[in-house]
Amino acid sequence: MRLLVLGLSHHSAPVELRERFAYAEADVPGLLTRLKAAGLAQEGVLLSTCNRVELYVATDRSGSEISQALRAFVAQDRGVNGPADRAWYVHSDGQGAEHLFRVACGLESLVLGETEILGQLKRAYDVALQHGCTGRLLNKLFQAAFSTAKRVRSETGIQRGNTSVASVAVELAEKIFDGLQGREVMVIGAGDTSEKTARALLSRGAHSVMVSNRSFDRAATLAEELGGRAIHFDDWSREFGRLDIIISSTSAPHYILDRPRLSGLLQNRSSRPLLLIDLAVPRDIDPEVKLLNNIFLANVDDLQAIAAEHVRARQVERIRCEQIIRERSQRWAGDVSSHPLPERRLAFE
Amino acid sequence: MFGLTDRNWFSLAVVLYGIGAVYSVLLWRRGFRRDDWVLYGLLAAGAAAHMTAMFLRGFSVDRCPINNLFEATMFISWTMVASLLVLGTWQRLRFLGAFASPLLFALGVFALFPMLDERGPKPAFVHGWESLHAALVLLAYGAFGLSALAALMYLSQEHHLKFDKPRAVLSLLPPIQRLEKVTTALLWVGFCLLTAGLVVGAWWLQQQHGYFISGDPKVVWSLAVWIAYLGLLVLHWRPLAGGKQFAYGVIATFAFVLLTFWGTNLPSAIHNP
Repeated sequence: MRLLVLGLSHHSAPVELRERFAYAEADVPGLLTRLKAAGLAQEGVLLSTCNRVELYVATDRSGSEISQALRAFVAQDRGVNGPADRAWYVHSDGQGAEHLFRVACGLESLVLGETEILGQLKRAYDVALQHGCTGRLLNKLFQAAFSTAKRVRSETGIQRGNTSVASVAVELAEKIFDGLQGREVMVIGAGDTSEKTARALLSRGAHSVMVSNRSFDRAATLAEELGGRAIHFDDWSREFGRLDIIISSTSAPHYILDRPRLSGLLQNRSSRPLLLIDLAVPRDIDPEVKLLNNIFLANVDDLQAIAAEHVRARQVERIRCEQIIRERSQRWAGDVSSHPLPERRLAFE
Repeated sequence: MFGLTDRNWFSLAVVLYGIGAVYSVLLWRRGFRRDDWVLYGLLAAGAAAHMTAMFLRGFSVDRCPINNLFEATMFISWTMVASLLVLGTWQRLRFLGAFASPLLFALGVFALFPMLDERGPKPAFVHGWESLHAALVLLAYGAFGLSALAALMYLSQEHHLKFDKPRAVLSLLPPIQRLEKVTTALLWVGFCLLTAGLVVGAWWLQQQHGYFISGDPKVVWSLAVWIAYLGLLVLHWRPLAGGKQFAYGVIATFAFVLLTFWGTNLPSAIHNP
């Protein structure tokens, strides 16, 4: 019995092709059962996400004939015609295990080290397990993959640091404030990124969100979604004294907050820090305000620079991850070869 | 102990603090990105040698070893390093050691100047109250020193948050608001200890000389330092007096203490009987 991995991913295929091979979760058991019925596999797990479609099978057939047959089978199953063969990649045995471990650890992901893929992989395995589509080989393989991902997470920094603007803004806030619990947040200009940032702050314990927008209706809608309250655009500065974080993303062609105005507003406020997150282009906040005591300003470029730094730090950790993965996949291959599995699997029979 | 004198042990401690200071430069250049026990280990080893020196000196004079400037400096730096080891058990404050080791090294080198370790015909402090006065005051300066280090850490992190955000976010230093709280708390501890030390000193003066306050340079200087710290704490309550200005105030006041402590001690008749 040998392991075979057949897949398409963002590395090898554009979204136009990946979407044609994507499976809804409800369709996965049917595919695995048909594979068995066709005599192509004894065990199978299908991982289908927006970035990859991968089929992990245990089969007693060998050679390139089985990978060709699997490709043809999946193409037929999805009703896809045309030459997609070059987009598929195939890994077998130890290489296949190493590939799965890399996927589980986020090394094959679009955002290096992201953790969502591990949850998706667990779900894919769970679906196959519940429908009796896994056996000794894939059970051992996936358990080894999950424990490798756990080890990589605890022993390396591959998953450390955030890579989205919203989560980086939260991280920055946590470097300024002694906890985000009870912090007052104001959103000026109801844009998509500012909404995400406000949500991220709320999820970390921020007390409440006020929303101010030129269109009061839009402000009221967003405030309701965020569980906060809407403020008329001309009145936002009245709330200034109690604010800890201001997220600004208006479409104003000029600064809505400059140094003289902010200096005036600071007269009515205690000396606690104020974080200004300027997500607007053109910018809403005069960069000179950061020269004021206890005022911290971050614009889109600042946040993206932090995200890029996290990505760079993750790249450095990649080498350590690959060492762990290689060691674990070699151990898995050694285990399988020293304890050969029966030629016939029971799961589908 | 092991054929080494108290000064030998203290010299060993100073060497370890020096190595720590060099290592701190590396940590600083790397942006404090990884939790690091090496510096903590160096400071712990230095503190062990430091403590041995204090014990040997204490046993040799048969009292708390704060009888001359060498011993006083050794006591202040011991207070600081012992507190750092306790604070260092909290991961985010472990890097205080990186800011402290250059100061510990400088204080140690200064204390080892031969003229500071003069043993007079009799110990300066004969009664327990004098020792208590000296110990409280020196502990207070240790707390002020730590407060200044936390303020230095604050300024470093504050600067990066304004001008080099990736460095600030990727470092393992605590949030600046917490650093300000730590600075303030240490300042209060130091202020209470200093107040208690000065009250004990005044009471001792009254017992020995019949007056509470004299025109002795060290007494006047101590009152000035007390007023300066009181002023800092009062100002910190006011709006617009927190953050960077407060941190600068704490550092400047401690720098003043460091630069004038020994100078005002020399002409003091009470402190150099």
